[in-house]
Amino acid sequence: MPKFEIPRKVIEIRENIRTMRIRGAGRIARAAAEALAIAAQEFKGGDVREFIEYINIVGDYVRSARPTAVSLPNAVSYVLTRLQRAKPTSLDEAKDLVIKTAEYFIEYSRKAVKIIGELGAKRLEYGDVVMTHCHSTAAVSVIVTAHKLGKVNKVYVKETRPKLQGLITAKALADAGLDVILIPDSSVRYFMKKVSKVIVGADTVAANGAVINKIGTSLVALVAKEARVRTYVATETYKFSPRTVIGELVPIEVRDPTEIVSNEWLRNNPGVEVYNPVFDVTPPEYIDAIITEKGIIPPQAAILILIEEYGLSIKEQLKEHDFVIREEELRE
Amino acid sequence: MSSLLSTEIIKMSEKLAADLRSGRILGSTEAAYKVLDMIDFVSRNYPDLLNKYLVEWIPVFMEARPTSLVMINLTRQFLREYVKLLKSVGNEKATHKAHEIINRIKQNIEEVKEVIATLGSRRISDGDVILTHSYSATVIKLLSKAQERGVKFSVIVTESRPIGEGLHTIEILNKIGIKTTLIVDSAVRFIMKKVSKVIVGADAVAANGAVINKVGTSAIALAAKEARVRTYVAAGTYKFGFETVFGELIEGVILNEPTLIIPEEELSTLTGKVIVKEPLFDVTPPEYIDAIITEYGLIAPQAIPIIVRELHGWPPRLESIDELLKEVSRYAQV
Repeated sequence: MPKFEIPRKVIEIRENIRTMRIRGAGRIARAAAEALAIAAQEFKGGDVREFIEYINIVGDYVRSARPTAVSLPNAVSYVLTRLQRAKPTSLDEAKDLVIKTAEYFIEYSRKAVKIIGELGAKRLEYGDVVMTHCHSTAAVSVIVTAHKLGKVNKVYVKETRPKLQGLITAKALADAGLDVILIPDSSVRYFMKKVSKVIVGADTVAANGAVINKIGTSLVALVAKEARVRTYVATETYKFSPRTVIGELVPIEVRDPTEIVSNEWLRNNPGVEVYNPVFDVTPPEYIDAIITEKGIIPPQAAILILIEEYGLSIKEQLKEHDFVIREEELRE
Repeated sequence: MSSLLSTEIIKMSEKLAADLRSGRILGSTEAAYKVLDMIDFVSRNYPDLLNKYLVEWIPVFMEARPTSLVMINLTRQFLREYVKLLKSVGNEKATHKAHEIINRIKQNIEEVKEVIATLGSRRISDGDVILTHSYSATVIKLLSKAQERGVKFSVIVTESRPIGEGLHTIEILNKIGIKTTLIVDSAVRFIMKKVSKVIVGADAVAANGAVINKVGTSAIALAAKEARVRTYVAAGTYKFGFETVFGELIEGVILNEPTLIIPEEELSTLTGKVIVKEPLFDVTPPEYIDAIITEYGLIAPQAIPIIVRELHGWPPRLESIDELLKEVSRYAQV
C-alpha cells in the first residue's frame, strides 16, 4: 500500500500522456500542470510537510509518463520549484500556491505563442523576405504578426521531406495573406540570396543553446550563415531540455524507410539502406537568437532560463539520475 | 515550324525539347547525346531536310537547357566538322557522313569518361563513405571501377528532389553490389560527419571553376567544407564553358510544377494559394571544390584556364553555334 493515494484523474492524465493521446509540447505541459493542481485540490492528508512530500511524489509520477518529452518535466518543475522557493508554513497556503502556480502556467503557456509572435515581429524589418522550414506554430506566429504590421509579405517555405510539413506552413501563411513560395529542400542554397531572415521552430533546445529540430534545419542555418542571413528560432521555454545540463544527449529518432520510398521500391531494391533521421542539431553559433515568451535571448543563455524559470538544480538533476555524489564533492 | 519538315520529326523534336526543359533527361551528356541522336535520325531518314532541320531546331534545343555546356560543345563539334565537309565534299556527301561524325564524337566522349572513371576511382580507398547527389553516368562508372578493384566502400545517395534522380542512381549502384544508403536532401549536413568524400558530376564547369550541377550540389559542397570533407567533381573538358565566362550569371531552368512537390490529394488545398518554384541547377563556387577530375587528370578548379588555353588558346577562339548554323543555312537554301 503506497503512502499516498494518487487521485484517479491524475492517473488518467498520466496515462493519456504516456499513450500519446495527449501530444505536442504545449498540451503535454499544460496537462502536467493541471494534474498537479488536481492533486493539490484532492489532497486529504494532514499537514504541510506531508503535502510537500505528497506533491513531489505526484510530480515524479507525472514526470515518468514520457521520459523523453521535454516539456513534461519542465511543467512539473515550474510548479514545484515555486512551491519550494516560497517555503509555505500552512497546508492551505501550500495547496493554494500549487493550484495558483499551475493555473498561471497553463494560462501563460496558452499565451506563449502569441507573445512569441509579438516579440519576434519586432525583430523583423520592413521588406524582409523570410525562409522557414517544417511547421512550427511559434514561427508561423512571428511571421503572421510581422505580416500584420506590414513588415513581411514574402516567405519561402521548404517542402520538408519526408513528411512534407512545409505544406501545412504554406497553407497557414497563405491563408494569413502572405505570398508563399514553396520550394524543394535541395534548393535551400539557391534561394538563400533572396532571403533576409530565417525563422524556424524547435523540438528541443539543449542547455548549450543547440537547437534540435526537424531534419534539414541545421543545413538551412549553415546556408544562412554563409549568406550572412540571420537565423531565429521561435520556441516556448518549456522546450528547453534540463537533462542536457548533465551531459545527456538528445536522442535523434530514426523513422521508417517507407516515409521516403514505397514498400514496392524497397522490395525491388533489396540491400539498399534507407536512413531516415527525424531531427538534426543546429549548433548555437549558427543561431542569432531564440525568440521565447520570456524574451529574445542568445542561444547561449538557455541555461539561464532553465535555472530561473524551471528551478533547475544540477545537484538535483544528478540525484534524479542516480548519480552518487557527496555534498563535499559538489562544494569543491 | 516549317511545313517542309515532316510531322514525325517535329513531334519527336518537340518532345525532346520538352524533356530537356523539364529535366526528365537526367544527365547533361545524355541530353547532348539525345540531340546528336536526333540529328543522326534526321540525316539517315530525311537527308534532304537535314540542313533545314539543323537551322530550325538546334537553337530550340540549346535554349531548352542553357546550362548544358556539353550540348553546346558537342553540337558545336558536330557542326564544325559538318560544315567543313559541306565546304569540301558538298551537300550530299556531307549529309551521308553525319552519322559517322556523330559516332566518332560519342565514342570519343565514352573514352574520356572511361579515363575520368579510372582516375577518379583511384581516389577511393578502403573504408571510404562516399556521398553523391543526383545522377551522373561518369560517377557511377567511377564507383563501379573502384568496386571492380575490390575496394571496400559504401555510398550515400540523396533523393535529389525535385526530380528524384538519386533513386535511379541508387538502384544502379545496388544492382552492381555496392553498399548504399538513401537519405533525404535535408539530411546532408546531419550525415556529413559520417562521410569521407563527396563525389558528384557536373552539368557544366565555368571558366572560373564554378560547377553547375543539379540543385542541392552547392549546399552539399558547403556542408562538406564545414565538416572538412573533400568534394570532387567528375567532369570531362567537354563540359567546360569555353566561349563565355558563364558562371553565376546564367539563370538556370526553374520549373513551376506543383505536382513535383505537392501530393495529389493535397493539390486542391494549395492550388492558387502558393507559388511553386523548382530550380533544376545551382552553382557551386570553386572554393568549395577540392578537385575536378578531368581526362587530363585531377585539377584545381582555379586551374581551368590553363587547360582551356592548352586546348583552344586564350582567350579561347571557337566558332559560335550561330555562326556555324549560318554556314549551314547557305546550303539549306539550295
